[in-house]
Amino acid sequence: MGLEIGDLIIGLSMLAFSLVGLFLAAGAHDNEMYVFGLSLAGWGTVFVFGLLHRYFDRRDAARVAISVRGEQPHE
Amino acid sequence: MFIRHETLERNAFLFLVLTLITVAIGGIVEVVPLFTIETTVEHVKGVRPYSPLEQRGRDIYVREGCYLCHSQQIRALRDEVERYGHYSLAAESMYDHPFQWGSKRIGPDLARVGGKYSSQWHYAHLTNAQSVVPESLMPHYGFLADTPLPTADLQARLRTLRDVGVPYTDEDIANAQADLRAQADPGADAAELLKRYPKAVVVPGNGTVVTEMDALVAYLQVLGTMVDFADPANEHLQQ
Amino acid sequence: MNDAAYAAVAAQPSTASRAVDYNEAIVKKFVIASIFWGVVAFLVGIYIATELAWPQFNLDQYVNFGRLRPVHTSAAIFAFGGCALFGTSFYVVQRTCRARLFGGEALANFVFWGYQFFIVMAALSYVMGYSKSQEYAEPPWHIDVWLTVVWVAYAVIFIGTLLKRQEPHIYVANWFYLAFILTVAVLHIGNNIYLPISVYSANAYSLTAGVQNAMIQWWYGHNAVGFFLTAGFLGMMYYFIPKAANRPVYSYRLSIVHFWSLIFLYIWAGPHHLHWTALPDWTQTLGAAFSIMLWMPSWGGMINGIMTLSGAWDKLRTDPGLRFSVTAVGFYGMSTFEGPVMSVRDVNALAHYTDWVIGHVHSGALGWVAFITFGALYYLVPVLWKREALYSTRLASWHYWIATLGIVFYITSMWVAGIMEGLMWRAYDKFGFLQYSFAESVVAVHPYYVIRLMGGWMFFIGALIMVYNFIMTVYSQSTAPRDAVLPAGLAVAGE
Repeated sequence: MGLEIGDLIIGLSMLAFSLVGLFLAAGAHDNEMYVFGLSLAGWGTVFVFGLLHRYFDRRDAARVAISVRGEQPHE
Repeated sequence: MFIRHETLERNAFLFLVLTLITVAIGGIVEVVPLFTIETTVEHVKGVRPYSPLEQRGRDIYVREGCYLCHSQQIRALRDEVERYGHYSLAAESMYDHPFQWGSKRIGPDLARVGGKYSSQWHYAHLTNAQSVVPESLMPHYGFLADTPLPTADLQARLRTLRDVGVPYTDEDIANAQADLRAQADPGADAAELLKRYPKAVVVPGNGTVVTEMDALVAYLQVLGTMVDFADPANEHLQQ
Repeated sequence: MNDAAYAAVAAQPSTASRAVDYNEAIVKKFVIASIFWGVVAFLVGIYIATELAWPQFNLDQYVNFGRLRPVHTSAAIFAFGGCALFGTSFYVVQRTCRARLFGGEALANFVFWGYQFFIVMAALSYVMGYSKSQEYAEPPWHIDVWLTVVWVAYAVIFIGTLLKRQEPHIYVANWFYLAFILTVAVLHIGNNIYLPISVYSANAYSLTAGVQNAMIQWWYGHNAVGFFLTAGFLGMMYYFIPKAANRPVYSYRLSIVHFWSLIFLYIWAGPHHLHWTALPDWTQTLGAAFSIMLWMPSWGGMINGIMTLSGAWDKLRTDPGLRFSVTAVGFYGMSTFEGPVMSVRDVNALAHYTDWVIGHVHSGALGWVAFITFGALYYLVPVLWKREALYSTRLASWHYWIATLGIVFYITSMWVAGIMEGLMWRAYDKFGFLQYSFAESVVAVHPYYVIRLMGGWMFFIGALIMVYNFIMTVYSQSTAPRDAVLPAGLAVAGE
């Protein structure tokens, strides 16, 4: 499975959104924008960590599957 | 039919396009003519943009969800006109961004509440509605009197409103802060304010700082007062 | 395709679909979210109903009626209803297309978590005092922008899955889901064109004002009902009723006629929210006329749904989930008759601004939307968590009867309150003066507000019973695991 195109697009988008959130929070004129900006930044970061987590889980699962089948791992 | 439905069911793109066309028609027919037919919003003498304090009061009215219990639209029905006053004209909400006609009356309609009660009554009612109307279900808004009105973005607000079509002049915007303070200070000279915003009501205020409640009362006191229905020259009598 | 061919497709064993690895994880997430937000929505509803009965419960500015009501409506429509639509649409589109969801895991998870983020941020913004105060379009401008992003992703997934389908023919449920997704996007963007004071400010002003703004709002507002709460849930109905009843949809031809006429006519109905106002006469008349015409395709849908039970009526006794779904269609019929009646201008003169409108809303929201969702959930939870059956059909039955009784209390109390308000406001005494002050009408409806609150409590308790049932279905030792392969007889309409 490895790195899917969807992961890359979403991951980069989430990084962009997180940055937008930080900027909004930094310049916020009211409480609402401040809370929204920080929440977007935080949520985006957690989401990217989630993507990374799933990627490495898939890679480890693939490695296990290969070794169970008796083949040599590629690395 | 010209297209067999089975053809549509096998072609997602065609189905999508036809669906979009189908749902677009009603909206176009009902919305577009409201902008092109001139008689939709009558030309009525007296209707003017909200003063800075009134507009800030309106902002508070909107954010607190007052429209959930109070309508601002008197219908052209006999009992309604008798209870609340002349039925609402389209022109009277032409500067309402957004409209607040409301769809439920848990409390009475407010379209012509301006001038019906003293400003002191409004302060008392907003702070504790049950103290003046025992049967009322209204929450307490005393916190508005404890909150100073933020005015840093006042000119930005008026400029934004001008961008969406409210005819504030450069003079209006330049004098916004002064007009706002004058409308919350009975001791101040209100001549300039009233020149720019006829029939603006000066609210008592607390003497030190302009509060959110001052703004809300100023807004309530202007509602429905702009048009002089006793004036026979008013064009709204003709359609 | 005709009815005979339809039935033949329905009878086909679908061993082919076993080979597809459906994305069920995303469906499970949305199912859990829908149940969670449903409980939240009902609880907030109870609280604001309590505030209306006893205003002392408006404890402070963060929980007063004005700030909490949009939390309730958003939670009920967008959180509870929305998550149910996302979840079921992803389940149905995969199975009726015999294709795994387009876009992979990342996009699906983005849509899920992005939507949850929207829900939480919107509710927070209302409580903090940033509502736009436009019905069902309350979120401030920046949250509207976020929702647009999430919605585009949703459309990409759904349409992408349709485009990669292995089943050549698009099943009727997907017509409705597609119409819902597309139209909601158009409505959302059309009604939420606001100019912020600054990109760093949550406050913004609408592009349009007054009467034009009113018309656009109710073009949106009525079609939020028509497409979010009706078309989307009809999609749900068109899959889960035939599935649970193990019968094909009653009439293929009726589905075509009622689909196209429904989506065409619904859009025009908006002005019935503005009768007797400063909206021009011609627009009001169009709105009324089309609202009345709308009765026909709505009942077409009702007939199609209920008559699908032909040959399987006894399942209503044994399958409480199906009972929920069929009752939902009954309430749908009732509400879509009541709506056109209330759209007649002379009826509206009495009904507008009264609690009758609230009663009408809730007969649709509780009777149709919530019940069809419960029906789908009762079907889905055992299937998704691979249990043979629900933990307890008796508990589901209890849920059904308590909730139905709750709805009856709710609707009837609001009918009485609403009509009484309308009559009191227009009553004249023998001297020709208005007989009642406004305050007297407020006092008069208090007992009905208490009854309505009771109805709401019953509905909420029913939902808690359902939650318990689902938890036990998933975790209890007593529910047997489902067999790996479903018996062929359960294949209907594309799965």
